[in-house]
Amino acid sequence: MSELLNTLMQDARVWQGHRHNKTTTPSESTGYQLLDNQLGGIGWPRGALSECLVDQPGIGEIHLLLPLMQRLTGTGKTVFWLNPPHTPYAPALAREGINLDQVVMIQTGDGGDFLWTLENCLRSPVTGLVMAWPGKLATRDIRRLQLASESGSNVCVLFRERRYTDQNSPAALRLELTPGDHQDLKINVIKRRGSWPGQRCSLAMAHRADLAFRETPQVVQGPWHQSRR
Amino acid sequence: MLWLYLHFPHLLLDHIRRDRQDQRPLVIVEGTGQHVLQACPEARNRGVQTGMRLKTAVTLAPELGIVRAQPEQDARILEDQARWLYRYAAHITLVSPDGLLAEIGSLQKLYGGLPAVWQTVEQALDEHRLTAWAATGHTPLAARLIARAGKGECTGDRGHILRTLETMSLATAEFDAKTCTRLQRLGLNTLGEVFALPAPELARRLSPEILAHIQKIRGTRPDPQAPWQPPHSFRQQADFVQEIEHSQGLLFPLQRMLSELEDDLCWRQQDTDSLHLILQHRHEEDTRLRIRTSGPEHRADGFLNLIRLRLEQQPLRAPVVALVLSVKRFIGREAPAGQDLLGKSQDLNEAWHTLISRLQARLGDHALKRLSPQEDHRPERAWSASEVQSKHKPRLTNPEHLPRRPLWLLQGPQPLTEPPTAWFSGPERISGGWWDGERVHRDYYIAQLRSGQLAWVFRDVREGWFIHGWFG
Repeated sequence: MSELLNTLMQDARVWQGHRHNKTTTPSESTGYQLLDNQLGGIGWPRGALSECLVDQPGIGEIHLLLPLMQRLTGTGKTVFWLNPPHTPYAPALAREGINLDQVVMIQTGDGGDFLWTLENCLRSPVTGLVMAWPGKLATRDIRRLQLASESGSNVCVLFRERRYTDQNSPAALRLELTPGDHQDLKINVIKRRGSWPGQRCSLAMAHRADLAFRETPQVVQGPWHQSRR
Repeated sequence: MLWLYLHFPHLLLDHIRRDRQDQRPLVIVEGTGQHVLQACPEARNRGVQTGMRLKTAVTLAPELGIVRAQPEQDARILEDQARWLYRYAAHITLVSPDGLLAEIGSLQKLYGGLPAVWQTVEQALDEHRLTAWAATGHTPLAARLIARAGKGECTGDRGHILRTLETMSLATAEFDAKTCTRLQRLGLNTLGEVFALPAPELARRLSPEILAHIQKIRGTRPDPQAPWQPPHSFRQQADFVQEIEHSQGLLFPLQRMLSELEDDLCWRQQDTDSLHLILQHRHEEDTRLRIRTSGPEHRADGFLNLIRLRLEQQPLRAPVVALVLSVKRFIGREAPAGQDLLGKSQDLNEAWHTLISRLQARLGDHALKRLSPQEDHRPERAWSASEVQSKHKPRLTNPEHLPRRPLWLLQGPQPLTEPPTAWFSGPERISGGWWDGERVHRDYYIAQLRSGQLAWVFRDVREGWFIHGWFG
């Protein structure tokens, strides 16, 4: 038996988990040191799909991408928002130092248009980042997008609902985002290339509403009356 | 002065034939539809001849394509030819319905001799798939008569030209029938015999106008020609014998038209960013399409890709009988600015225009938006979305002065249905809009909901609580 194992071990075709090779996939730093560490020092993969699984807006999911957006728009790359669920608010983006000339928002009609648009954006050399809210996607469609993203070298982040967590996906990086107790963002790495998934971390996101200086959240007691609503 | 005359014996036929993929026999019939005016080689092979009755022609070639001649169409097609000829010669005159006159005496030095000029024009005629009888002459009329008689030669020798003229019959000299008869009664049969008569006798026996005509042919009387000026626009039309029912069928003529547009733009050293495409239908109103590129463009395949996308999106309403492509807006071609040694920055700029144009062609101009902050205190008015047009637009912003705002703004305020678990900052009172009737009077707070979301909520004058944004 051990002889058989030894033969298998010597065979180069068997991958061994402890021999962890550093992958050299092109990538962009997330801008959050803590998250970069969890992702093996890489960050957002370029030329591959990333998925953020998130249920509600307003938990810091856009702030997760802000450092990348700032960097890309500063270097003249274009950031596309494809079918965002709400309006990206221009004054807030400008305040964060994003060059709005490089930001394009696209609203498409049906699913066919969506995939076509996303593919075109991904294949173009001018694109730095595409943030897309696809709604329902078949695995085949994700596969198609993955191929398109491989032909370019830009970051593509799909925002999907958390119920797709268990669904298999060809995306290179999958992050599950949930809100923490202190306005922070809890990140669970479901899948990543080159190593084991399962890392968890929590990023402080209180600064997104200028709350960093407040220790206790109960500073202003709102004039909320527990009456009719 | 030396003149070149191009006589197009079947211009309309050539015009229609070059946009046809199949080479089936084709004839042009006169307005009443009784007689054949022009017949293509395929038709002539079947025995169809000019002047034949249409019934006979159809019997000879059952699958014959028939086009009715229209005088206004001839003028337009002739002008199309003048437009390309203008690239080679400056002084052009249109001779309706089927001739072009160009002064080439002054071009000999430029092209390096008369044969070179002749060859250039012949080559251009070949490129445009036109049949033309060319001739040179020392006067406009001499060139015209020789060309129409089909005896054209490339020569600058005045004596030789006159000798050719002298052998020509009176009928080909474009005298009217009455004059012809009178001259024949005098015993004159060729132009040479008319030339030999003394001028005073001619004026007395015939009329001073006929003398003037003869003198203009010989060159003893000046015959000034007003030069034609090309219009400051581009227009091309393709007429189809069989109606085109699928947009795929339009691509073949479009390819030719666009490559002519590319030539034209290259020659003008200009670019354009909008094309007008008119699809004419037999019984319905024309379909007008406006194809816009997001930046200056001159390449035919760039335009063709956009048009293909547009036609895929928009199926034809009815079969198409004619296709018109026109360009009125020209943009001066810019020198590539800020280009590095490897030409990378220029490539990016071009790629950007290509991508945006493609997206706009398929999704419509309104699907793509560029966001910008506006100077207003009301959150709904503090931003605007504009169409993406050109890449660089100087904009003054001083982001430090902007107040803290959420990254998501809802389409409209939504009622707050649960009490928030925590309140952070506020109130921030925003009051305004009394000047334009959209009054806003609200107190804004930042609050955390039970689900962990940070919301931008407000209470307005009517004591209602609403969510207006998310701190995403």
